[in-house]
Amino acid sequence: MAASVALRIGLPMTRLASPVTFADGVREHQDEVYGVALRITGDRDAALDVASSTFLKAYRAFDRYDQTRPLRHWLLRIATNEAITYVRKRGRELRRRVEVEHASALADPTATPDAESVAREDRARIRAAVSLLPELYRVVIVLRYFNDLSVDEIAHVTKRPASTVGVQLLRGRALLRTTLGAGR
Amino acid sequence: MRNDRRDDDLFDEMRLRRALRLEAAELPPRLDIAAIAARARAERPAFAAASLASRVFAGVAAAGLAGLVVAALPVVAPAMASDLFTAAIETLTRVAVPASALLSLAEQPTIPIAALAALAVAIVHEYTLRREPVREVTS
Repeated sequence: MAASVALRIGLPMTRLASPVTFADGVREHQDEVYGVALRITGDRDAALDVASSTFLKAYRAFDRYDQTRPLRHWLLRIATNEAITYVRKRGRELRRRVEVEHASALADPTATPDAESVAREDRARIRAAVSLLPELYRVVIVLRYFNDLSVDEIAHVTKRPASTVGVQLLRGRALLRTTLGAGR
Repeated sequence: MRNDRRDDDLFDEMRLRRALRLEAAELPPRLDIAAIAARARAERPAFAAASLASRVFAGVAAAGLAGLVVAALPVVAPAMASDLFTAAIETLTRVAVPASALLSLAEQPTIPIAALAALAVAIVHEYTLRREPVREVTS
């Protein structure tokens, strides 16, 4: 609590009547930032690293953040950029790991398929397929179906034209359909 | 056919949303805001020093480049000026040959006479065209 108060005092504020503080931003959006990092990198440790470096960068740049715009989009932009950088750095290693997880997520023919295990298996297969998408499509798919952003919001976060985002969503979904169809 | 595709898309979207949702077991540990702030403050001097060093380096590089340009200009300028002059003279010579042929053709007496005649015909034609609507209105 004391730390939170100190942060309120220490951080640059306020062009609006009730300005968002950094502490509020972390509390409100940390799950979403971690989630987008997890779905883009496909790796929990990487996602934690990405989330903490996202908030570190956000803390440093908080005085430059335009308070008239949604904090969520600003944080998601930093998080997706951080996740992309991470994936590029560790691309091969992560890909290998995801492929192993993908293989282990495939149906075990000896198991009895009850509804819950089928659903779990389906989720794991879809997540693995998303992790294997090219980065260009993966980011828009995650922002659309994990963060529930509209096409315009994704365009704002990724700084791509909305029409491009629309096409990338279509292609990403088509690729997923192909991958999942081939995995059956 | 189109409905099937739309159903497929809707199904895909629902499946995707459900699959990508964070499960309770996946939730991360709470981030320590004070620790983030402390880390940022601890790294700030190094960050500021790196930023300052990069600015100084960029400034020195820009100054070096400007100095190089200023030093090289007196040496290079006469040669460049001479090259430009030569190029201009060559272009002028190339244009002058066909231009002089055209000028000598225009100097022949038939050309100005023909041009004047054509002008007179054009003027007469223009007047005729303008008179016709006036006649229509008055009649």
